[in-house]
Amino acid sequence: MKRKTLALALAAAFAAPTVSAQTLDQKIEILQQEIDGLKAQIRKMPAQGRPAAAQTPLDYASPLDHTAGLASGSTTFVGYGEMNYSKFRESGDAKADLRRFVFGFNHRFDDRLTFHSEVEIEHSVASKDDEGEVEIEQAWLNYRFDDSINVKGGLFLIPLGVLNETHEPPTYYGVERNEVETRIIPTTWRELGLGVHGELGEGFRYDAGITTGFNSGKLDDPTVGIRSAHQEGQLADAHDLSVYGALNYRRPGLLVGGGVFTGNTGQNGQANPLLKGVAARLTLWDIHVKYSIDRLELQALYAAATLGDTDQLNAAVGATATPPFAVPKTMKGAYAQAAYHVYKEGKLDVAPFVRLERFEIEQQEDPANGLFQDPNNFERVTTVGVNFKLHPQVVLKTDVQRYHTDKSKDRFSIGIGYMF
Amino acid sequence: MPSRLRYGFSILAVALALSAAGLARGESYQEPEAFLAEVFGSKPAPKVFWLTKEIQAEASAILGHPPAQLRQRYWSDGRKSVWILEEMGKDELITAGFVVADARIDHVRVLVYRESRGGEVRRPSFLKQFHHARLAPGTRLDRDIDGIVGATLSVGAMERMARLALYFDRKSREQ
Repeated sequence: MKRKTLALALAAAFAAPTVSAQTLDQKIEILQQEIDGLKAQIRKMPAQGRPAAAQTPLDYASPLDHTAGLASGSTTFVGYGEMNYSKFRESGDAKADLRRFVFGFNHRFDDRLTFHSEVEIEHSVASKDDEGEVEIEQAWLNYRFDDSINVKGGLFLIPLGVLNETHEPPTYYGVERNEVETRIIPTTWRELGLGVHGELGEGFRYDAGITTGFNSGKLDDPTVGIRSAHQEGQLADAHDLSVYGALNYRRPGLLVGGGVFTGNTGQNGQANPLLKGVAARLTLWDIHVKYSIDRLELQALYAAATLGDTDQLNAAVGATATPPFAVPKTMKGAYAQAAYHVYKEGKLDVAPFVRLERFEIEQQEDPANGLFQDPNNFERVTTVGVNFKLHPQVVLKTDVQRYHTDKSKDRFSIGIGYMF
Repeated sequence: MPSRLRYGFSILAVALALSAAGLARGESYQEPEAFLAEVFGSKPAPKVFWLTKEIQAEASAILGHPPAQLRQRYWSDGRKSVWILEEMGKDELITAGFVVADARIDHVRVLVYRESRGGEVRRPSFLKQFHHARLAPGTRLDRDIDGIVGATLSVGAMERMARLALYFDRKSREQ
């Protein structure tokens, strides 16, 4: 017994220093790694050293090394994109497309002033002979006075609908963006202007501002409502400015809100002299709700727009176009969508969904001049599909779409999307 | 510019000027020192949690990127531990304080929120979802956290930090 006790005591006496030595070794190794890291950072520094503001001023260790924190000097790189394949049922045609490749830089000048930007390349190749486009989707400065008051200026997204401001592929269901927020609300819709936004108490957020508006002298495609008259900050005719306002309430699992945008679109005839003195007021509004309970996600939206002076627009724009068309007069649409997360474990998330949409783009007919309603602009669309997230920011999608009027659009689609 | 728009623009400009003069305030909601004082009564001496290779690997799995720091400062009175962490939301860091007691999240507060959108994650209606959350087998939370529309990446960052705080608390008690 005594021998056993002695053996245990000896073992303990030798074991303890061994454990300590291992811990010490680990600590030395960690410290060595930290020293190596610091050396590497010092080597990257310019001769005069990094700006003091780029250091974390708080008294704790950050888990990140690229922090700039509260003060100036931080620039971040963001991006999103999607690649889609669609096979059309009626024609048998199929298309594969790098639909959009978006990247952006955001910069913090100080704790109040920030810059945000996104550059979008559509359809992979942009040239005179190709379909692709390169466009600035956003480029705006934000000055934060307070949570309740931010002022922004530049080219920014109009806060209508659900998709327009949050349009990265992993954030919505379906390979294609929904039709209502494409044809009635012309997502991704941005204007040059000045806005104010902020929080109003628990969960409420407001937006208001004054911006450039549409230019009805540029209308050329009534199938997409007012969309073809957007100016996107490209030498925008700005005789007629527009105003907008939006109010949203957010809490975990719930979004309820709406917005309105209104302004004249004649632009004093800058794009078409026949529109000089024509107001052609556009008013576009929406209400939306998104609610999730447990694994079920529900979403619905209604949007409507009216365009004034459509007789004069027909004469100035529709009748002189090749081919002639009747300009859109009233536009409205709604959708309801349900998704259920059948599997959600770790980063993986599988969510089948169904979406029912209906939109009506009523055109100003003028039979005497051969301008008639396009029946395909009264449409119902059913979309059934699955979003499969490999990661919260990477999604594989597939769906089947049935168009009840224009069956040539019936399709099966597969898509890959990402954001970071 | 039509007179009505000019009028609206003037009102907006005056309102903004008045706001700028009277409402200038930062976006830091609580200083870490104040947060610690609130939790402990007074600020205890910080402790250092060493990230061994095993812990670095697990932290990488939780965050989706390697932790840059190989040691993490924290505060503890034996029962409660406080972890002040930072994680990238969409394009800015979120700084949040997590109080862990009995292997569960006792309290969470967003100390600094820098993003231009998604600030709803600092509201009690969002943060209360973490109350009493603990690690399920592995390093997942024992519950789903409801998202906020337009703040997907901020919500993800908060969830990752909560898991990291719980994991660090667990491992710190083993060291």
